[in-house]
Amino acid sequence: MKSYHQKKTKKRTYFLAFFFILWLGVLVLRLVQLQVIDHVKLKAEAIQQNQNRKKIEPKRGSIFDRNMTILARSVPRYSVFFHPLENESHSEQWSRAKKIGRTLRLSSSKLSTIRAQINKDAKFIWLARKIEEQKATQVANMNINGVYLMEENKRFYPQGKRAAHVLGRVDIDEIGVSGIEYKYNTILQGVEGEGLILRDAKRRRYSFEILKPPVDGKDLVLTLDETIQYIAEKELKNAVLESRAEWGTVIISEPSTGDILAMTNYPTYDLNHLPDPPTKLDRNKAVHHTYDPGSTFKIITLSAALENKSVGFEETFDCTQGYVVYAGNTFWDHERLGILAFPEVFIHSSNVGTIFIGQRVGEENLFRTIKQFGFGQRTGIDLPAEEKGLLNPLEKWTKISVASHSIGYEISITPIQMLQALNVIANQGLIVPPRTVKKIHDSEMKALSPMPYKRAISEETAANVRNILLGVVASGTGITGRIPGYSIYGKTGTAQKYDRKAKQYLTTAHIASFAGVVENDRPLFSMIVVIDDPKGHYYGSQVAAPVFREIAKKILRYLCVPPAKKPFDTLIASKTRRKSSE
Amino acid sequence: MVRKKFSKKEIFTGIACTLFALLILSLYVWHQTESVSLGYDSAELEYRVTQLEKEVEKLETIKSSLLTLDRVENIARDKLKLSEPKEEQIVYEHIEKER
Repeated sequence: MKSYHQKKTKKRTYFLAFFFILWLGVLVLRLVQLQVIDHVKLKAEAIQQNQNRKKIEPKRGSIFDRNMTILARSVPRYSVFFHPLENESHSEQWSRAKKIGRTLRLSSSKLSTIRAQINKDAKFIWLARKIEEQKATQVANMNINGVYLMEENKRFYPQGKRAAHVLGRVDIDEIGVSGIEYKYNTILQGVEGEGLILRDAKRRRYSFEILKPPVDGKDLVLTLDETIQYIAEKELKNAVLESRAEWGTVIISEPSTGDILAMTNYPTYDLNHLPDPPTKLDRNKAVHHTYDPGSTFKIITLSAALENKSVGFEETFDCTQGYVVYAGNTFWDHERLGILAFPEVFIHSSNVGTIFIGQRVGEENLFRTIKQFGFGQRTGIDLPAEEKGLLNPLEKWTKISVASHSIGYEISITPIQMLQALNVIANQGLIVPPRTVKKIHDSEMKALSPMPYKRAISEETAANVRNILLGVVASGTGITGRIPGYSIYGKTGTAQKYDRKAKQYLTTAHIASFAGVVENDRPLFSMIVVIDDPKGHYYGSQVAAPVFREIAKKILRYLCVPPAKKPFDTLIASKTRRKSSE
Repeated sequence: MVRKKFSKKEIFTGIACTLFALLILSLYVWHQTESVSLGYDSAELEYRVTQLEKEVEKLETIKSSLLTLDRVENIARDKLKLSEPKEEQIVYEHIEKER
């Protein structure tokens, strides 16, 4: 009996053991299949099922004015993209895409582009980029298979048109294409990161691991002052519209640092609603446009004469004829000015007198001074595509070049170069290069140090030029730029426009300009106003100097600078008050 | 077949061990579930923080666009009927005192 039971138990045990071993064998084989044979494939499937690698877009840096007013910032926006489903025909895909197209009110050209992409079996199609939040909600509520929303950033300019040409713009992928956005693109855009999202069986996200952290773009603090920029834009717009000019530009700077407080062009555009094509108004005339400066350039002739001691302060020049024939060419004054003392030549902007002085200075001295003031080379302002203008080398100067250069012809300059030259006078002979970015803002505020200063003329020359230019505004051609109670010096300019095709100066089209400095105990700000082809009145004193005055008046009010009670003791004024036109 | 009889002490120890093992197992499972659950909460909170940060920036930007000087000037002129002061109406109070 016992042996029977023992046998039976043993048999059952073997039977069970056999099945367990068999089961174990099957398990082991399955394990081998899963872990060894299909390892690569299954691992990829598992990763795809519960892990997502995601690119982490860095946030583009913001741009602020000097008082930390936001000028440009990237804000989140949704984009809609389309993904074809498996075994879906082109017509089925198209009918799905069309539904969204109707909701988003896509243009017919955009819809035909989408259709063409579907026909090309594209796996990823953008339906709309960076749409309004409301529309994104509508798309999400439609819950259409294969249509997804992706969060992106869109550049937004809260001030709209403000400083449009300085800020520049970005393309749809947030890459700078003009202005500061382009020049400082690498600093602003940052570096892309990567993250790993872990999901459960229901595709819910339960963990997000950052594999490579994104580096956000750095913020920029500009030298611009939003209020000064606003004042300049408003007054320039009024002036261009009133004078029916082609365009105008105004630049305002702080002479001691070269900081640009405002830079504007008119016509301009709204950075949030770009014109079509966007490049139409992209050119920043302040740094891109070259022109013959005319009489504002007499500041350089005056400096050259004083620096080289070519002319005595008490000398007089006979300008009674109102014209001078020089190397077969006739140069005219705007009116017969009589016999003028050296300072009066500039106070009344006599072309004849300035040509006499230019002759006395001589070719080489004049050329050297022009170079020392930085003409014919870029100022180095931190804006893209700055023009360097045209200054012919001395070897190419003709017989009339001294005369032409003395009164601001035969040379092409940019408005920013002229302002830099005027700042030399304000800075006691030193060239201070202009700049638009003050600080790069990251974890620690990094202030950019200004570029090294160079000496253009002596302190004494600069002081004498300043005193003569004070007379220009007090009693000369710049009187329309005068503000009672404030010390202002500057120079008007009216230049005939040069027709590059006809290769001659036009008698019917002019560029009116005024460059001046407003000072208190020290130079407060300098400004240049350039108006292209004004109709009717066209002299700098009639068109540009009043704009200077209106802008300066408002800036002084904004800076809380009260008018002085005492008259200025260093003023050199003309003996006789003349009718000012040029 | 003769079965071994267990003493009460042995049965109690067995049950205690089983209960302990179950407790440990339950703790482990609870810990795992809590970890995952906390992962969900943490991920959601992180997302919310990011969204709120973005919202703050968006509101700052909207505020900035509402305070643009041309808009303020238009409101001052058109709605509040204000006009620019004349030169003689301006008093430079602090600067006058300092001087």
